[in-house]
Amino acid sequence: MTQENRSGRPQGRPPEGDARLTRTEAQLRGPFLLFFVSAVVWLLAASVLGVIAALQQGSLANGPFRGCELLTYGHVAAAQRNLFVYGWGFNAFFALNLWLLSQLGRFELRNGWLATLGGAVWNLALTYGVIQVFAGNQGGFGLLEFPREVGPVLAVAFLLAGFWPIVAFARRPTGHTFASQWFVVAASFAFPLTYLLAQLIVLWQPASGVVQAVAHSWFVSNLLLLWFGASALAAVYYFLPKVLGRTINGYYLAPVAFWSYVLFAGWTGPAALLGAPVPLWVQSIGVVAGAMLLVPVIITAINFHGTLSTEGGWSRAWNDTTLRFVSFGAVAFTLFGVVNALFGFRGYNATVRFTSFAAGQEQLLTYAFATMVLFGAAYFVLPRLTGALWPSAKLVHVHFWATALGALGALAALLIGGWQEGKQLADASVSLAQVAKVGSAWNAALIVSAILLLVGHVAFALNAFGMILKSSAPASAGRHD
Amino acid sequence: MKNLNTLLAGIFLAVALPFGALVIGSQVQLGSLGRAPAEEGGPLFPSREPGLAIQGRAVYVSLGCVSCHTQQVRPAGQGSDIARGYGVRPSVARDYVLQKPVLLGDRRVGPDLANYGARAKDLEAVHAAIKHDGAFAFLYAGDKKTVATERALALAAYLQSLRQDYSSPEAKLKQ
Repeated sequence: MTQENRSGRPQGRPPEGDARLTRTEAQLRGPFLLFFVSAVVWLLAASVLGVIAALQQGSLANGPFRGCELLTYGHVAAAQRNLFVYGWGFNAFFALNLWLLSQLGRFELRNGWLATLGGAVWNLALTYGVIQVFAGNQGGFGLLEFPREVGPVLAVAFLLAGFWPIVAFARRPTGHTFASQWFVVAASFAFPLTYLLAQLIVLWQPASGVVQAVAHSWFVSNLLLLWFGASALAAVYYFLPKVLGRTINGYYLAPVAFWSYVLFAGWTGPAALLGAPVPLWVQSIGVVAGAMLLVPVIITAINFHGTLSTEGGWSRAWNDTTLRFVSFGAVAFTLFGVVNALFGFRGYNATVRFTSFAAGQEQLLTYAFATMVLFGAAYFVLPRLTGALWPSAKLVHVHFWATALGALGALAALLIGGWQEGKQLADASVSLAQVAKVGSAWNAALIVSAILLLVGHVAFALNAFGMILKSSAPASAGRHD
Repeated sequence: MKNLNTLLAGIFLAVALPFGALVIGSQVQLGSLGRAPAEEGGPLFPSREPGLAIQGRAVYVSLGCVSCHTQQVRPAGQGSDIARGYGVRPSVARDYVLQKPVLLGDRRVGPDLANYGARAKDLEAVHAAIKHDGAFAFLYAGDKKTVATERALALAAYLQSLRQDYSSPEAKLKQ
């Protein structure tokens, strides 16, 4: 890395930004706000569905939506997961990745209308897909449930909306690059490739038999690790040093973290297929890759927690809204890596297989890590782009506590509840009805957590939308503060 | 790391290599699997599904049944699937060669269905199970919700067609 650092900037610290709204930011303000607002709208929709799904799952027999075909768990769960992933996760990272790489590469988005068009197409295709799921036209593979005609449209929309970070990287004026840039480039390039290949081999030209399941597991792991994971890691690498005003601890290890993460992530998928009728060597590769993923997890832990542990970093992070969310996410990522490696192993995996545990692992990555980091980023970026302040400090507190407690509650219910459920399922003398009885306490916790998350998201949306509406600064006028 | 082409090439390999090895590799190994007799001259398994069962699979997919039901029996030693009576032998890849899409599932809120057809007593029991104590009564018509709609009939035929209780070259049943 030393020979690359010719700019004289301290390593491990992102370049200083301008206090005023730069031309860079003025150019991307429009697309950014479109992505951000649609992300939050989808997040709200997903949270409402999350509450309904929690109600439907716990009490199939006597829930409030009993006998309602539209709201059967199969529909609601699929719609919720797709809206959360493609609606919130993608729109929000379109916005953040674009902003991040424009900042780091001093990139001026001249053709913002293309990104806006991409965002519009993405959201329209998503709306169509979700309506089709509720109408009963869903597929049988998680996160590929949309009718197959949606796939190519989403792929084109991604290229229009999500490819700009790579352009920004290519056009950056300095030779120096920063860890955040590598991760964002990886996310922006790996996802469209993965999505097109998965569409092809799962939906358009289905591979034979269980090979579909192998391809699907590969797709899901790439989507979660290389889109959510890599994008959120980029944000942590940016905001920690930026807000703390110091360099990343052990930054020289970051290239190793990047390459090991990118190279191992794609192999971890089949760990979700242990015991399934797929070749054993495929399953074993998944387990080994999950363990190898500990390399980048440990390095990022040294980078993030090391940085936070020096000179009172944790207490400063706690007192800064952005860093409070971001460091919550950083801790969650470390935890995710450990849980992922540990529960890949056959013995543990056999216990938690087919329980809620896998959903818990996914939430650990997509919510406790990526979403919390996104919230933190919003508290940093939005005031700069709108030139306004967050309208209510109270709502910020409500947002943090509701989402943090909701996330912890949901994780406990899914992970610990899943473990208990698995322990009972392993004993063939315990009937499914008995298992469900013990699980009902965890289901109640899940419902409460889902409501808490909804409350947090409403607080966030009120604050953010209030701020955007209040901001009178025209895009070209610059910031007045 | 400052060279975009190097970066993109690395990322491309990170996507392409696992795809090539895991997905194409599995396809090479399993792609030519077809129906086969357990012994020379015996009947071919898995059996072809009746047309109504194929329609029923579409109903199963469209209702999202896969979010609560798996269709795979793990080998003994990995969970209690065989002890629970979900199957008499572990599932093998050949069992799925006729299925489009393959619905292995990853969550068991309800029981595994890989062998449901083999253990269901009669059609009446299948319909009772589909109703889930009334939660899926919308698949039935009539005042008392006793008349099966076309979807319920197809779904029942599909569930009855689900069985992995035959010998296949990879998984022989003990006689």
